[in-house]
Amino acid sequence: MRKIIFMTFFMAITAMTAQSEFPSVDIKTLDGKSINTKELSSDGDIKIISLWATWCVPCLKELDAISEVYPDWQDETGVELIAISVDDSRTISRVRPMINGKDWEYKILLDTNNDLKRALGASTVPLTLIVKDNKIVHRHSGYSPGAELELYEKVLELSN
Amino acid sequence: MKKVSTLLFLLGTFMVSAQEQGYFYGELETNAQYLQDDSGIGFEAPDDKLRANSYLQLNYNYGKITAGLQYEAYLPSALLGYDPMLNGGNKIATYYVNYRDEKFDITAGYFYEQFGSGLILRAWEDRQLGINSALRGIRTKAYITKDLDVTVLYGEQRNGFDLSEGVVQGADANLNLGEVLGFGELNLNLGASFVSRYQTNNNLPDVPNTVNAYGGRMDFSYRNFYGGIEAIAKDNDVIVNEGNIASPQLFDGTAMLVNLGWSQRGMGINATFRRLENFSFYSDRYAEGNIYNQQMINYIPALTKQQDYLLTNIYVYSSQPRLFMSSEAEKRAGEVGSQVDFFYTFDRKTTLGKYGTRIAANFSYWAGIDADFDLEGQVYDPKFIGSGPRYYQDFNIEIKNRWSSLWQTAITYQNVTIDKGAALGGPLGTQGDIKANIAVLDVTRRFTKGKALRAEVQHLWTEQDRKNWAAGVLEYNFNSTFGIYLTDSYNYGSDDKPHYYSVGGSYSKGNTRFSMNYGRQRGGLLCVGGVCRYVPENTGLSASLMVNF
Repeated sequence: MRKIIFMTFFMAITAMTAQSEFPSVDIKTLDGKSINTKELSSDGDIKIISLWATWCVPCLKELDAISEVYPDWQDETGVELIAISVDDSRTISRVRPMINGKDWEYKILLDTNNDLKRALGASTVPLTLIVKDNKIVHRHSGYSPGAELELYEKVLELSN
Repeated sequence: MKKVSTLLFLLGTFMVSAQEQGYFYGELETNAQYLQDDSGIGFEAPDDKLRANSYLQLNYNYGKITAGLQYEAYLPSALLGYDPMLNGGNKIATYYVNYRDEKFDITAGYFYEQFGSGLILRAWEDRQLGINSALRGIRTKAYITKDLDVTVLYGEQRNGFDLSEGVVQGADANLNLGEVLGFGELNLNLGASFVSRYQTNNNLPDVPNTVNAYGGRMDFSYRNFYGGIEAIAKDNDVIVNEGNIASPQLFDGTAMLVNLGWSQRGMGINATFRRLENFSFYSDRYAEGNIYNQQMINYIPALTKQQDYLLTNIYVYSSQPRLFMSSEAEKRAGEVGSQVDFFYTFDRKTTLGKYGTRIAANFSYWAGIDADFDLEGQVYDPKFIGSGPRYYQDFNIEIKNRWSSLWQTAITYQNVTIDKGAALGGPLGTQGDIKANIAVLDVTRRFTKGKALRAEVQHLWTEQDRKNWAAGVLEYNFNSTFGIYLTDSYNYGSDDKPHYYSVGGSYSKGNTRFSMNYGRQRGGLLCVGGVCRYVPENTGLSASLMVNF
């Protein structure tokens, strides 16, 4: 019975507040400087934020797929993709050579102890967000081929 | 349970009354399984056939203050492969209050933290691995200038729903020297750490109450070059095996990590070297080497490529930092080795580049520290590198192509040699090796409107252990929210020729993700439908729900 009360209460909260605030967490640049996530999308522009890892095949597929069309996206909407790696020290040294080796043009940041991942409640990667003025306006976890087209439709919708 | 309801109620009231300025966020995750007996793989379901791990995380932010809690339930039992001490538990497992402004970041309650690469301290959570090593206490971070920050912490580590017997204190400082001295293109960061564990010796005079560790690090980047070095020394401590002190002597420990890389557009190369000598560090000395990874103060992962295909995940290495001097068969002092990564994308103007050819290659070699052991006197004389027994060697290469907007392929080849002790358990370096070759072909065909079909064909060749394997995956996505899959790993080279089959699907939309699976899990990382997770071996039905809010 208690469990039912508990769950009901929980569902009520969820329904009531389905909130959209992008959390404020310190993460790092590739040069080791701290940057607060609040600074990423405060300028009114639309940002795609992708949580990824070097060991996550679907993440790489998604970012590879977007990189093929990224110049077009930027020309058409000015959208910027910020790829935040959740690699920990096991694999973090692979981030820099991989992004260069893959010729990605994204802004890359590091969430080494998964503070942002935790604040976003992301159990798994990839997690793809569209964020505007620190509000999460779209959220999708996982990647299947073609999902980037839906993502871009959402960006187009929001930039009009 | 009453406590939970009260807290929820308070939090809810607070949230509603303060809704205009504050905001509320959190997440619910439930992973459940129903296990069944399966003579095909010799699996006997435990008494609790239905098992579930549930996590509810609630946070509330109001200006400079954030408060939160995590409620966890392992009812009626924790998923198979998790620490049995969690079975039947349901409680608020962690809670915190955090104050933060531009100069200070102060947390009371449970917190996560990492100093440097985590070689000296890392408190973290990984639900798939059953790790939550949060510390309960106080942590203060001070941002003294924009180029200098200092962290001081004090706490007891979480151990299931209890706390560790040991107390951990630590301090860490980071200085961006390149900025301070105006080096321009040369970026130079320095760091220093101190971690101390206190645990009463219960009147065993030879056992130290306090064990300290000290470390320093430097990271740099200059144009296309970058690198770093980190070194840690740990004071004398007893060595413990299976909860018992294993030697009358005390031993110190050391760790060193060096990383160097170079990258430019289209190409990157990175090399890592690490040496660990008697370097496990637990908040309870008697927890050393426990199989559930509880009460670990530091983080010493295997530095090998993390693979994610079915058959490339069978022979997986884990780091071997411990010192043993118990017998001729079990004498070792740690590990030393390195790995190299190479990434290359062909220019679009070339023939190979036209088909989007990308190459990733990796080589790693890990061995025991070369040392002379005097078992009688319980001393040893190590070399810095030397030529100790090989524990693991791996060469792998992956070639990805995009033939058209509809067809993509990835080919992976791996040649792996692993010590039997490292792969299957038992003493290291004395049981011989397992040598395996693995090939994987991964093909994706896209259709319109997000429909896509993906197929994998895999084969593993080996003369040792369970001999040859073949495997396949078929995955179909109806759109970006819904997909189904079918997989099978067939160990046809072994005597009983088991099939590890699995069928499942996932639905993911906005804040919600739901997945279901029926079949046999061999264990390891499973990546289907766009998400990777660690699954321990079992047969049965499993379901997982994740909701963010």
